[in-house]
Amino acid sequence: MSTAVPEFDPQEIALHPEDYFRRQLVWQLPVRITHWVNAACLIVLFLTGLYISHPLLAPSGEAVRHFVMGRVRQIHFVAAMIFTVSFLARIYWFWMGNAYSRSGFPYVWRPEWWKDLFRQGTDYLRLERGHAHLGHNSLGGVAYTLFVIFLGWCQIFTGMAMYSESNPGGFLNRVFGWVLPLLGGSFTTRMWHHAFAWGFVVFAILHVYIILYDSTQYGNGLITSIISGYKFYQKGDFKED
Amino acid sequence: MGSLLRKATTYDVLREHGIDRRRFVKFCTMMAAAMGLEATVVPQIVEALETKPRLPVIWLHGLECTCCSESFIRSSHPIAQDVILNMISLDYDDTLMAAAGFQAEENRKRIMKDYAGQYVLAVEGNAPTADGGVYCTVGGETFLSILQETAENAKAVIAWGSCASNGCVQAAKPNPTGAKPVHKLISHKAIVNVPGCPPIAEVMTGVLTYILTFGALPELDRYGRPKMFYGQRIHDKCYRRSFFDAGQFVESWDDDGAKKGWCLYKMGCRGPTTYNSCPTFKWNNGVSYPIGSGHGCIGCSEENFWDNGPFYERLTSIPVPGIESTPNEIGTVAAGAAMVGVGLHFISSMARRATQKKEEAPDKEGR
Repeated sequence: MSTAVPEFDPQEIALHPEDYFRRQLVWQLPVRITHWVNAACLIVLFLTGLYISHPLLAPSGEAVRHFVMGRVRQIHFVAAMIFTVSFLARIYWFWMGNAYSRSGFPYVWRPEWWKDLFRQGTDYLRLERGHAHLGHNSLGGVAYTLFVIFLGWCQIFTGMAMYSESNPGGFLNRVFGWVLPLLGGSFTTRMWHHAFAWGFVVFAILHVYIILYDSTQYGNGLITSIISGYKFYQKGDFKED
Repeated sequence: MGSLLRKATTYDVLREHGIDRRRFVKFCTMMAAAMGLEATVVPQIVEALETKPRLPVIWLHGLECTCCSESFIRSSHPIAQDVILNMISLDYDDTLMAAAGFQAEENRKRIMKDYAGQYVLAVEGNAPTADGGVYCTVGGETFLSILQETAENAKAVIAWGSCASNGCVQAAKPNPTGAKPVHKLISHKAIVNVPGCPPIAEVMTGVLTYILTFGALPELDRYGRPKMFYGQRIHDKCYRRSFFDAGQFVESWDDDGAKKGWCLYKMGCRGPTTYNSCPTFKWNNGVSYPIGSGHGCIGCSEENFWDNGPFYERLTSIPVPGIESTPNEIGTVAAGAAMVGVGLHFISSMARRATQKKEEAPDKEGR
């Protein structure tokens, strides 16, 4: 494979540094933290959400001794609030962070963006390494924009609207209540909230696979980068974003 | 009923009908409680009913089943039947008036002229709009034109029931007659939606009493419904809520949970998504309401409740043309498709790697 590295030889490396992988801090701490908080929340939210729509446990005896459904809903709501904060924090970091925190943004009005999208798509289909990005490539950017940002907003708005129903006229109800009539009532809002949730499952499958594939194909330390923050690049890779 | 031209007050008419003052004040107190108003408002209601001329009401019937009228004349308070029918001067009502034929239509035209800007238009049912509205005609005119003509000079419009408020069954898919709720046919008029199939009698009485007492429409929510009656979900006032929170659900009709009165959530109860006063007022003189009788709420006061079926399932199919599946079915297929795509890519990349290794084998030392 082209990524095969010869035996370590400091003199050789000093003579031809561009032939070797170099290290670069890509994901800053806020990016890494929000990534894992979002991941954990989405897993909790999806599982508790499925449970709420189809509760399985059936505790016996007096109702006063149990709080199963209430507890699952509580976990769902708490996870939802944490997700929302983490989601907003990541959006804040889009502007405040380094260039990589903005990488992958769909610049649909730029021809280069479409070129990169096409290049990345064909690289994946032709199973070729091509030139890796240090940040997100255009295809990854599309996936994040559609599956995380767009779906995230959908879930936050529908979820907050439904959550606000228990306190009509309250703060959340005033801020998010308009979502309910827009989607045709609170029943259909629930239906859409449930449908959107599956988008995260599709995303998780694609995301995890592509990460594993890229990491072996590019040899750029992609998997560990979301813990350490560092990625590796070599000659020909796109270092800027 | 007293003649409208005398401008009799509600109280006058009630006294004529032999209702004493004590019962009259009791009714006013009940209405204040029903509207969620404090005790100091009771004298205001008493004064309004004593001094203000009765509210002229034109009550139109479009595409509907008259269940709203049936509910209305069964108000639970002992004298409510009298009060309701006397409180407002029901000058034109296809179902209840004595006049018939040309005389009846003349009556409507006369009220529209004599009480222009003062009468309240109460609409039961809605109007079909397809093919020029021919699917509902009264006295040779389409209901659509009658509705728009009568609304022109009305002080306010009350949309009784789910038909008038949000379309109900005749506006359900595929809606061949193009039936549309009142608020989509009349603009620039104060409209109060009183949904329900039918609405609760006390809610109907309460809305009329409020308009008569305060001369204005009650505070409305985003759907144009009076907040005092449609402000909360059935779920949040349900007496079975403790079973919901505990996680004790009826799994099938006549199972042990059903006998113990557990939560009907898994049987498709629409309580969590329905705004109405059923748990408060109940039905049939406060005897019971659907959940109290062991059946889930079907959400009859919510928009599109016929299309959001089946009634005994929690999830409906995605309301996108061409898709007849629930979110779970679609989600499973989408996730499965993603898995297949990923699997194919993985297999081909493995195959590619295997062939590459064979080719590269002699060259392994170099870079």
